[in-house]
Amino acid sequence: PGAERVPTTIDESATKVLCLTKAVTTDQLLDDEEYEEILEDMRDECCKFGTLVNVVIPRPNPGGELPPGIGKVFLEYSDNAGCFAAKNALHGRKFGGNVVTAVYYSEEKYHSMDYGV
Amino acid sequence: AAGTKTKRRKSRWADDDPKPVIQLPDFMGGIEFDPEIQALNSRLLEISRMLQSGLPLDDRPEGARSPSPEPIYDNMGIRINTREYRARERLQKERQEIISQIIKKNPAFKPPADYRPPKLQK
Repeated sequence: PGAERVPTTIDESATKVLCLTKAVTTDQLLDDEEYEEILEDMRDECCKFGTLVNVVIPRPNPGGELPPGIGKVFLEYSDNAGCFAAKNALHGRKFGGNVVTAVYYSEEKYHSMDYGV
Repeated sequence: AAGTKTKRRKSRWADDDPKPVIQLPDFMGGIEFDPEIQALNSRLLEISRMLQSGLPLDDRPEGARSPSPEPIYDNMGIRINTREYRARERLQKERQEIISQIIKKNPAFKPPADYRPPKLQK
């Protein structure tokens, strides 16, 4: 990463929703305090790239069951440009020691709370 | 507001700029890479090695040397300013000057214990 950090055009495949993978672990999500901190870290950092509408981090069910999308972080921006900027800035960056992967996510799926793609 | 929080944790996000792949030792950072400093440092090392080696410091052959100064003797009649002595003095003077130059460029430089700052004189 870093080599192609300076994008000049908007990616055609861009959406308003960015999905970070490999950022959080199931163990971290089970801990209430840690979960709140992660949300805060995400909000603080990700609002730098555009208008951040919402941050969604699926959590394991109280029963320990793992719904689809565990380990992912969804960042919803008000427009594609913010999402695009975030993707370029966050992809390959470390979060809590893990190298984060950032991919666009289907807005439709996101809004229907389908996090499993 | 967000600014009213008393505790400020360190974010889990790593710094924006990825670190260089080769992590350099601390002592090699920044000013040590200045080519002038590098040149001074390598000359300093060379001089220190020469002074400690015990080898003749002035091994120029007879014909290549400039004329010797008038001899100076101590009260036992032994010559003080031998060729070797003069060569050593010369190197030690150069060494002190190099250290002064390095300190001027890098005030954080720790000079060797035997370094004496030059006397301020015109």
